[in-house]
Amino acid sequence: MNEVGLPPASPIGGSFDLVDHHGRRVTDAAYRGRYVLIFFGFTNCRVVCPRALTRLSAALDLLGPLADRVQPLYITVDPDRDTPEAMQVFLRSYPRFVGLTGSKEQIDRVKGEFRVFARRISDPDDFDGATIRHTAIAYVMGPDGRYVSHFTDTSSSEETADRLRTLLALA
Amino acid sequence: MSTDYASAGLDKLQLGHIRHFDNLSRQPPNEWALMKGKGYGQEDFGGFRFQLAYMAYALALAHRHRLPAAPGVFKPVFQRLIEKILLPEVWMYWRDVSRGGSIFNAHLADKYSEEWDPVRRDNIMYGAYVQSMALLYNYLFNDDRYAKPGALTFQFWSYFWGGQPKRFEYDQNSLNDHIYWQMVESGYLGVACEPNCIFQICNQPAILGFRMHDLVNGGSSAEEVTRGYEQAWKDFGRIGDNGHYHIMITEDAKTVRQNMGKAPWVDAWVGALMNMWNRDFVHQHYPRQISDLVKAGENDALSINVPARPEIMGQRIVTDDCDFGWVTAWTSEMGDAERLQGLLAHADRYMAPVWREGGLYYPRNDRIEDANGNRTLIEPMSGNVLLGYARLNIPDGLWRLYNEPWSKAHFEEPAITEVSSDIDIWRAVFDPKVNKLEMIVERRDDIAGDGSIRLSRALSRGRWSMICEDIEIAHGAAGDVVVTGPLNVSIEKNYLVIRFPRGFSHSCAVAFAAR
Repeated sequence: MNEVGLPPASPIGGSFDLVDHHGRRVTDAAYRGRYVLIFFGFTNCRVVCPRALTRLSAALDLLGPLADRVQPLYITVDPDRDTPEAMQVFLRSYPRFVGLTGSKEQIDRVKGEFRVFARRISDPDDFDGATIRHTAIAYVMGPDGRYVSHFTDTSSSEETADRLRTLLALA
Repeated sequence: MSTDYASAGLDKLQLGHIRHFDNLSRQPPNEWALMKGKGYGQEDFGGFRFQLAYMAYALALAHRHRLPAAPGVFKPVFQRLIEKILLPEVWMYWRDVSRGGSIFNAHLADKYSEEWDPVRRDNIMYGAYVQSMALLYNYLFNDDRYAKPGALTFQFWSYFWGGQPKRFEYDQNSLNDHIYWQMVESGYLGVACEPNCIFQICNQPAILGFRMHDLVNGGSSAEEVTRGYEQAWKDFGRIGDNGHYHIMITEDAKTVRQNMGKAPWVDAWVGALMNMWNRDFVHQHYPRQISDLVKAGENDALSINVPARPEIMGQRIVTDDCDFGWVTAWTSEMGDAERLQGLLAHADRYMAPVWREGGLYYPRNDRIEDANGNRTLIEPMSGNVLLGYARLNIPDGLWRLYNEPWSKAHFEEPAITEVSSDIDIWRAVFDPKVNKLEMIVERRDDIAGDGSIRLSRALSRGRWSMICEDIEIAHGAAGDVVVTGPLNVSIEKNYLVIRFPRGFSHSCAVAFAAR
């Protein structure tokens, strides 16, 4: 038998087993049947995350009732500091999002599956003297849990909404 | 500006370089005559992959800027180069190199394991060439053959060792996606070459590939990646205190390796490619960098300053550095005509150019200098490829390829799409304003062939007439052709086929009635 190395149909995404911002265990299976919009970040993020979550929330607002078919998730890359309670406080400003955290191993695993970059760097302007540089991509996963598309941080709310509308229409 | 070069066409030397690329591409599988470098195992610029890739890039530049209406000169050569870069002889070095253990990261040797798939992990110095060549091909020739599933397949099996056959299937899009996500995962710093070693330069070909992917499929991945790349390298800087480009950064410790010795190939290779998306930055630093690298010779010839390489672990490093070739290629991209001409003059004087089967190259010479101290060392990568690249390029040529793509209309214009092996096309340009394809064609006596060219997309443009040196040769419309001159002109399927007699060397034009 040949040793065949086929690149996977999609190199992005996979299963996860995390804790939501209410402290409940959540796996990827909980979202089957819905589109999922995933953004990775950390609650002490001063620029990238607030801007992205604002933009993505606005895009979902533009979708109107269609947005009910999309579950936005915010997965932390800073599990040491982002407890469920911390995420709950942070996400009051972005009520559409469910925050997900977990152990370092759980977070490393989901980061790897989504090819997410996150690296702590020193930052004298930060309260802790450090910040985390991280991937600013929003991933769209289909109702079957598979990768469908992604948005970079240059996509406007309107562009994001238009593309989501198209993706939802294709389903 | 680019159209001026197209109007001028090619000169004899430029044609010679293209034919040499063609000759090398026609060698039978695993015949690598004239291409083997000094080093062992495909691990440096002596590696065939570099010659194959930069021949393709040089052809892309020549087609884009100098011979835009003759894809038939370039397309088959491109295909053969891609076919060769998929051969195991080119990529099997990775099975060993993937295990780590270089002096840069000896401490990580236990972390790595043997990897047979040459593009799955790291090895951007190979994967990005396959990706960019395939996507350049799609863009230049409007042909998506490498987008078919499995079109870029790496396979190996030996009767003598290695166990089961190995087969790794990709296509231009799956390979592009795979490299893109590695870029994302790195925070856009780049993908490693040898394990743990992220070279600035080796991620530039991937960026070219992303841009071609965007041009073919839509999207803005190149813009995204270059923006992220700028941000990621800000933490480390891209240039050292001595004004020269950093060589690489270690993936684990994020330690920058500076170009302390001012090795010419580092600056020149980075500068020649990075110019495509970062022109102001590259041009800004060029004057200081190049002044350290180039030195005056006699009678306007120029040569290069090459630092002595220190021994490492008591070993002399035997590699092809290609300093002369890279510096020459860089001057061409920078539009530094004076230095370009000076370096080429040196090559012509001291590096023993050879004409072989219509092709021009500078054969490998391991001797560093002649009795008078003139640099004579030249490697296959420089002599087969880079000096030709420099002659075929135009100022900011890669920048223009990247930033000034052809319009959709270009691919609907009449063009020479097939060329028999005994034909040289000196000039081929379609002027949409006057609806005319102009060409200069020569049929060679020293190479076998049927002396024909085929024009595509001509018959759908209504009435046409062909004139050579003021003599009408033929005219026609749709499927009809009336031959009035001394050439054989016919219609075969959708092609206008022209056969030239031996010794023919003239300018011709095919003019179309106003649309």
